[in-house]
Amino acid sequence: MKRVFKYFNTLTIILVTSSFAASQNPREISKKSADAIALGSMEMTTTLKIFDAKGNARSRTLNMASRKFGDVTKMMMKFTDPADVKGTSILIYDYEERADEMWIYMPALKKTRRVVSNERGKNFMGSEFTNADMSKPNIEDFDYKIISSENINGRACHVIEATPVSQESLQSNGFSKKVSYIDKENYLCYKIEYYDLKGKILKTQTIGDYRPVEGGSYFYYEMEMKNEQNGRKSVLKTEKFKPQSQMTEAQFSPSNLDK
Amino acid sequence: MKKFAIAALLLLTPLLMNAQENFRERAEFSGYVRGSFQGFSKNYDLSNVFAQFALKGKYSGKHTIFNAEVWFLGGHHFGEFYNRLEIMDAYAGYVSDKFDFLAGNQIVKWGRTDGFSPTDNISPRDYFFLTSDIDDQLRANLMARIKYRFNPYIDLDIIAIPFYKQSNYRFDLFDMGGMAKFGEETNPEFSFSNATLAGRLNFELPGAGFSLSYFRGFDPYHGFNLKGIELDINAPNPMPTINYSSTPYRKQTIGADFAIPSGSWIFRGEAAWNITKGGDDSLFIPLPSLAYVAAVEKEFWGVMGIFQYIGRYTPSYKPIFEPQPAGTDPDQMLLYMGEMVEYQTRLFNRKIFGQQKRSNHAFALTARRSFAYDTITAELTAYYNITSKEFLLRPKLSWTIADNLSMAIGGHIMTGEKESLYDYSGPVMNGLFLELKASF
Repeated sequence: MKRVFKYFNTLTIILVTSSFAASQNPREISKKSADAIALGSMEMTTTLKIFDAKGNARSRTLNMASRKFGDVTKMMMKFTDPADVKGTSILIYDYEERADEMWIYMPALKKTRRVVSNERGKNFMGSEFTNADMSKPNIEDFDYKIISSENINGRACHVIEATPVSQESLQSNGFSKKVSYIDKENYLCYKIEYYDLKGKILKTQTIGDYRPVEGGSYFYYEMEMKNEQNGRKSVLKTEKFKPQSQMTEAQFSPSNLDK
Repeated sequence: MKKFAIAALLLLTPLLMNAQENFRERAEFSGYVRGSFQGFSKNYDLSNVFAQFALKGKYSGKHTIFNAEVWFLGGHHFGEFYNRLEIMDAYAGYVSDKFDFLAGNQIVKWGRTDGFSPTDNISPRDYFFLTSDIDDQLRANLMARIKYRFNPYIDLDIIAIPFYKQSNYRFDLFDMGGMAKFGEETNPEFSFSNATLAGRLNFELPGAGFSLSYFRGFDPYHGFNLKGIELDINAPNPMPTINYSSTPYRKQTIGADFAIPSGSWIFRGEAAWNITKGGDDSLFIPLPSLAYVAAVEKEFWGVMGIFQYIGRYTPSYKPIFEPQPAGTDPDQMLLYMGEMVEYQTRLFNRKIFGQQKRSNHAFALTARRSFAYDTITAELTAYYNITSKEFLLRPKLSWTIADNLSMAIGGHIMTGEKESLYDYSGPVMNGLFLELKASF
């Protein structure tokens, strides 16, 4: 009887574990985490503070807007401060099935230029953030696995490791893996650790001050990226946020960037 | 004082408005103060030293836009002190998703290549305003501009410029043998028939951008006409003075450009067919030609590289030959002198227009790299004209010291074969520059 009970126990554990694994697909969790954030259609004003290792700060303020038209999410950024970058505008067409497209307008240049957009791992405006951090992650770029569970700020989180699926994805994103801490209940991501190409920890991103927005999704009002190798950090604070941008498709066109 | 009050009022108006910081409606007020030094050329210890206060005002409403930029400048420019006010941009207009109508002083840049754009004929340049940024040379035209967007991917830009404005190149500063005298301007009469009309149909499609353009009017990049020869017979050793006048010519340009990204590369190109009449007879008019640029842009190990091939093909090109004296009697010598002056003038204009041979070829390479989290940028532009054997090098180092303060240091080095344009301009325009700029 004791033996039967032991087998029954083992079977229960196997069944529970396998049913947990089936429902907790790490790719699905990562996708739900990306979808939980209202980046698809919004307008916001945000301030980027860049701190060097000594704590000296530089600041940039920008207006951002995004909206989905067909299979493309169009995102526009306009810098309003400081004066030396004021008026600089960036337009990104984020396609689901093909390479993104990007245009930049600089007031001194007096014209809009199409630029290469595939360098997602490049620093964003001299900060610790990268271009990739400014848009939704490309879920298909990575392989995922759940490595553990942990509590972050009292919330139970999945710890998910994502590794680039290809050499192209690795070079484009600029890291060998990332480890994300995703809330088991609402799929909000609180922390991401990035590892450099040699496997050493490179940066830690903390995301907080989540506030619910219309449509059941959330938006983060504060995001920090700390470079663990050189002590620099950058903080992105959202000052105004409005979901569901009403901007027209014409306003997201390259010919509108100089207005 | 009155000018200053008007400029200040124009620029401060946005501050009085209720500013809304979003994409649709906002008022902006900004500007900068700059101290700029360029010197150490062969002919000038201080070639271009100035202080500048630039004020900018902008308002973008739902259907209203205005934009103004005024420069207050004072300094020393190739041996002369000056103080002046320049209105750069000053335009107002109606804007909407489909249609924009703008009127006033505007700077317009067309074309998809960098630095060498054969389809870019709208705005004149002051080539002798030497600063760390070559785009500071752009000057505005008074114009009416209509932009119509068929959809988010296709737009049509139409420009009408009633008054012609020349680009400025100061050949009077060059040592060209002592007999040549420059400075006078000949401009077309103000009439509708002399106005400039231009249009550009622009496509920004997924995967590629391209445009077709048309220009009809007087080219800001003018030629030099022979106005006359003076001889002071009362001078102890009478020498003739050849008077040249900056004289524009009428042309039509049919242009096209493209930019195609492919992975981490971008391929750009431009071509312009320039149609002129009278180039065989008039010294200051170039022959019809096809100007073209092919460029490739790619980042290698953090260095952004732009390589460009710049060419010009002049199908009706005919070589010209130095005249020889037919004899030594005064009439023949006088005839010879006239032919020689005409020959030199034509030769000189052909150098300006890049028509020294049927096919002209040049290369340019720009390499740029940012360091220290984009606070320091090093840039080097090199240009070599294979046909005229002229060479230009422009190194520049920019440093963002603080959020609103930047510094640039660099130089211009031009050299070429004897009597080439760079041989003339090098002793005047070569040198080092240092610039400090605070923005607000």
